[in-house]
Amino acid sequence: MITVHNISKHFGTVQALQSVDFTAADGHITGLLGPNGAGKSTTLRIISTVLKPDSGTVMVDGSNVLTDSMGARMQLGVLPHASGLYPRLTAIENIRYYGELNGLQGPALGKRSAELVELLEMQDFANRPAKGFSQGQRIKVALARVLVHRPKNVVLDEPTNGLDVMATRALRAIIRRVRDEGHSVLFSSHVMQEVAALCDDIIIIAHGRIVARGTPDEVRQQTGEMDLEEAFVKAVGESGVTP
Amino acid sequence: MMRKLWIVFRKEVIDNLRDRRTLLTVLVFGPLFGPILYVGMMNVMTNKQLADLNQPLKLPVKGAQYAPNLVGYLKQHNTEIQPAPRDPEQAVKNGSADVVLVIPKDYAAAFRAGQPAVVQLVMDQSKDSAQKNINRARDLLQSYSQEIAALRLLARGVDPRAVAPLAVENLDISTPQSRAVLILGFVPYFFLFAAIIGAFYLAIDVTAGERERGSLEPLLTTAVSRSILISGKLAAVTLFSAVSLGLDVVALSWSQGLIPAAKLNIVVNFGWHTALAAFLLTVPFCLLIAALLTVVASFTRSYKEAQTWLSFIFILPMIPVFALIMFPVEPTLWMMWVPALSQDVLVTSVIKGAVLSGVFVTISVISTLALGLLLAWLAAWLYRRERVLG
Repeated sequence: MITVHNISKHFGTVQALQSVDFTAADGHITGLLGPNGAGKSTTLRIISTVLKPDSGTVMVDGSNVLTDSMGARMQLGVLPHASGLYPRLTAIENIRYYGELNGLQGPALGKRSAELVELLEMQDFANRPAKGFSQGQRIKVALARVLVHRPKNVVLDEPTNGLDVMATRALRAIIRRVRDEGHSVLFSSHVMQEVAALCDDIIIIAHGRIVARGTPDEVRQQTGEMDLEEAFVKAVGESGVTP
Repeated sequence: MMRKLWIVFRKEVIDNLRDRRTLLTVLVFGPLFGPILYVGMMNVMTNKQLADLNQPLKLPVKGAQYAPNLVGYLKQHNTEIQPAPRDPEQAVKNGSADVVLVIPKDYAAAFRAGQPAVVQLVMDQSKDSAQKNINRARDLLQSYSQEIAALRLLARGVDPRAVAPLAVENLDISTPQSRAVLILGFVPYFFLFAAIIGAFYLAIDVTAGERERGSLEPLLTTAVSRSILISGKLAAVTLFSAVSLGLDVVALSWSQGLIPAAKLNIVVNFGWHTALAAFLLTVPFCLLIAALLTVVASFTRSYKEAQTWLSFIFILPMIPVFALIMFPVEPTLWMMWVPALSQDVLVTSVIKGAVLSGVFVTISVISTLALGLLLAWLAAWLYRRERVLG
């Protein structure tokens, strides 16, 4: 479970986040939805401990990201917006490296990476260097890297970017599966349909503030729009002002 | 802790061993650049020296028939008289002759009349390579002139010594050995160069390269502290630097057999004992340069930018090397506190076969390692900042 307590963050004169407060529950897929530049990535980066909030904090399964960032990272699997692979390492080597960094070793590591190759259908390219991979292949390896140490909490920053329809569907299936195993999944997107198709909870963020939250139904009710996309537009507001 | 450090270190080593450019630089270019330059310079210099010492002066003479005595004198003094080219000026200009002696038709008449008899030396003063032969020809004509002058004074009953108030003797103590030292002066730089170039691409790849590929942010979210990450990376960079240095030392030691040191009577002491000592004296520099390159590369945003900035670092160890060549001084204690300079001084001493001072070696090693660790700490600090993501 990820609990975000009232975090704020500024870069120079820009207030990127203002009192953002929400929970991504276990066994739930939580969608962080917002237009470009709304503060989605900043929120996820604070959760994944690469940025520090100006105020407020984040708890990841009881570990405070500020005071116990290592403990928090152990419970986290993070797919950042930029998730480059090592082009000279094979898919398997890329995955194994992250497994080792997160404390796996020996037969357990071998078993787990084989499992992921199976799960993500990477058999065809598992032993090829990552250099010439397609976007779909890259995202699969990156995702396997996120999941290799069976993190309790999975954070994905716009994971479907650049994926074709089939790859997107496959990714959704994987995300659901991770959820069904009891993990909490938090992912960001600027595509309404994607969030609608997948999420148990939605958090709509604009200009660094949360402007609507709840289950898809609750969001519809809050905004008085039956169509989620209309609800999103209304929540964000044409000028970005909270309704 | 140590396990994670080892994991990062091993990954960087394996990853970079697969990069052809890095491999070529670390295993071939870095280690061989110095020895090839060294052998080349030594051979050119040796051949030139030997040639100049033994060979007669080749002097084309135009109008030799007008001055048989002069020509006879030249022949007696190790000069090979050659037929003159049709156009002496052209011959000098295009380099087919260094210097041409032209004796005009009225030479004999002027000589007999006791007038200064004009002879011409056609030469190109701006040509360095011709300088030696020009001087030899001029000196020969000068001494012939003095000999004749002395004879004329004697014939008039004057002691020739009256017109020679000074007797200048040239004692040229430049020897092939002393010139060889000039080239040997570059050897420590070759070592430092190999250490730098061995670390060069790796330092960029693990920092700016990692950021450019977008693999830095996911790496920072793993359960490894940033200090461990940077330490593992630094260890890999240091290893590549040390490998390049080690190969360079071995190659230079081996290439010693390729230079005709015996012909020059140079005592260049570069057996495996010396090689090992040189390596051990220089290897602390590997950590220093790895950390320095990593720190500088950490400030840059891209691979290209990193390459540009890091290129400047090649110049740094050149400064003490050239300073020492231009102002040779005996090793003093303060030098040992300056990395690059201390390695330079100590390795030069080892090659010359001097006995090393234990204090000097200790200070050199400790100061270099201390500065290296300080820079490593700075690199770790840079990686703890948020801005590392760029």
